[in-house]
Amino acid sequence: MRKSSKKHSTQLSNKVRLLIFIVLGFLIYLLSNNVDELRVYQGAQVAFYVVGIASIILLTGYSGQVSLGQGALLGVGGYAAALSHLNWKLPIPLTFAVAILAAAGAGALLGIAAARLSGPYLAGATLALAVGLPSIANQFTALGGEQGLFFDVGFPPESLGEEFTQYKWFFWIASLATLIAIFWLQNVMRSRYGRTWKAIRGSEVAAELAGVNIARAKVLAFTLSAGLAGLAGALLAMTIGTVSPSAFPLALSFSLLTGAVLSGVTTLGGVMIGAVTLVALPEIVGTIVNRAGASEAVATNLPHIVMGTLLILTVVFVPNGPVEQMRSRRVKKEKSL
Amino acid sequence: MFQLINTLLIGITSGAIYALMALSIVLVWRSTRVINFAQAGQALTSTFIGFQTLKYVDSFWIALLVAMIGGAIISALIEISLMRVLLKHSSSGAIAGVAPIIATLGLLEVIQAVITLIWGGADSIITPPLSNTGFTIGTNTLVFSPMKLAIIGIVAALLILLSLIVQKTSIGLSLRAAAFSPELARLAGVRVDAVRTMGWALSGATGAVAGLLLVANGNGSFSTASIEFSLLLISGFIAAVIGGLESLLGAVIGGLALGIITAFVLMYISDSLFFIAPFVILLLVLFIRPQGILGKKGGRRA
Repeated sequence: MRKSSKKHSTQLSNKVRLLIFIVLGFLIYLLSNNVDELRVYQGAQVAFYVVGIASIILLTGYSGQVSLGQGALLGVGGYAAALSHLNWKLPIPLTFAVAILAAAGAGALLGIAAARLSGPYLAGATLALAVGLPSIANQFTALGGEQGLFFDVGFPPESLGEEFTQYKWFFWIASLATLIAIFWLQNVMRSRYGRTWKAIRGSEVAAELAGVNIARAKVLAFTLSAGLAGLAGALLAMTIGTVSPSAFPLALSFSLLTGAVLSGVTTLGGVMIGAVTLVALPEIVGTIVNRAGASEAVATNLPHIVMGTLLILTVVFVPNGPVEQMRSRRVKKEKSL
Repeated sequence: MFQLINTLLIGITSGAIYALMALSIVLVWRSTRVINFAQAGQALTSTFIGFQTLKYVDSFWIALLVAMIGGAIISALIEISLMRVLLKHSSSGAIAGVAPIIATLGLLEVIQAVITLIWGGADSIITPPLSNTGFTIGTNTLVFSPMKLAIIGIVAALLILLSLIVQKTSIGLSLRAAAFSPELARLAGVRVDAVRTMGWALSGATGAVAGLLLVANGNGSFSTASIEFSLLLISGFIAAVIGGLESLLGAVIGGLALGIITAFVLMYISDSLFFIAPFVILLLVLFIRPQGILGKKGGRRA
């Protein structure tokens, strides 16, 4: 109890938070001008992972449900964005909106099914979804089959100058979308819905006795989380330029879950940790392996081994994530003083 | 008519393999209340152990035995080194309920990378020990071959053996006691940790058989990236859920039902529904009878 009352007193006002996000955006802008092409591309990847991981944190950390099929929802978002761009010629911001809405719709359906399931059953059902859904795309010619569809957000506007590269443009769009999404998500977490989810996570029975409609709250969590996943899917599709079944494999779902666990699923504060790890770790391990002069096979497989081991160690020793771990340690220290 | 029989036979054979995977999932669930998503990776590892053995000996059946022992040892080691620590550490906290799921997924990633590192990503071949050409009746050729007959025989034998172990021996009694209530079992003198390791070892051996038979049922080629093995995991899981996750017989019924239904869907509706059909079946089962065919009411919440 003491902890929560303390948190209230240190909670930032909305204006200050908005200011922080604007400053953050400005810093990202400065950063994008000072790094090379590869780093800008990786920046766009980090942005997309941040949204994807946030969608899992919302679902798992705040409402206690686990989804192994988040990649499928990303696929829904990606395809919705590409289709609306190709068929209706919608401008890019609107295609993102379509992606969010389509994925949220799919998430609502999934959530209604999921509200009846718990633990391993939900995990298994969403896992089956992650394998099954991308293969549907092969069925319909409108979805482009195995090759998929193009999703081209176009060249950066000429007013930005000739030096302005395509990837930098991606990075700008992705960062802006991510900042807005995270700001919105923080607001939701602080609203009565966020408190409702926290109550459910604490104890379903107690929350129900306090008058919370558990099923409705869970479906809402699923819907909002899927909407975020849809945005992440559209960002991913933008970065790689196409959507196809192979762009949303089972491994994507697993990566997002890994990122969420490394970030800590109970708080949004660590979301960058997971996203940066997902992007940076393969490169770091690859560089080390190359320095050591190991073979190609080691270079491709070692990152997976490191990542999997990291995931296991995190679950065993820091189940709530590094940020929460530090906070609880601080609280303990204060108590002992 | 003839096509109908053929479809049924295909369904029963693939269903028997799903049933084995479901059995191995159920064994782990019963001993530790964990769904082991790394099970397919372990089955693949055991299959590679069998493949390696075949380089030295000529008999598929000896390779199967070695793979079973290897699978059991790997599975037991995972239980001792990972699951025990995990269940001790994360009994509370926000992700206590899903921690084992996430840990086994991490394990799956590690296992896949390690076996790719050892055996490479290219296709490996295990020659099926029996002929895969079908029996002929008159002028018609059944898709039913000696190999498929052997597969069904092996699955039936394993089911009987496992049921006997669980129902009739003192090991089985301890297994059931440890699953029912670890605390009470401990008080009654059951060495719960050892019993759990035993359950995992049995499961690993069963998974090894599933892996090798899966390869022998096909054209004998497999690789670390085989889509069949991800499907094996999902089919096994779905079969186990259909059967109620608790009962060995349920797992087998679930596996056969899944195999037969999938075979009919592929034959009579569209063979492109291969990936989506199991998912639809799972959803239907979860909606109509969430506790599974043989499950008891309320078991779902465990």
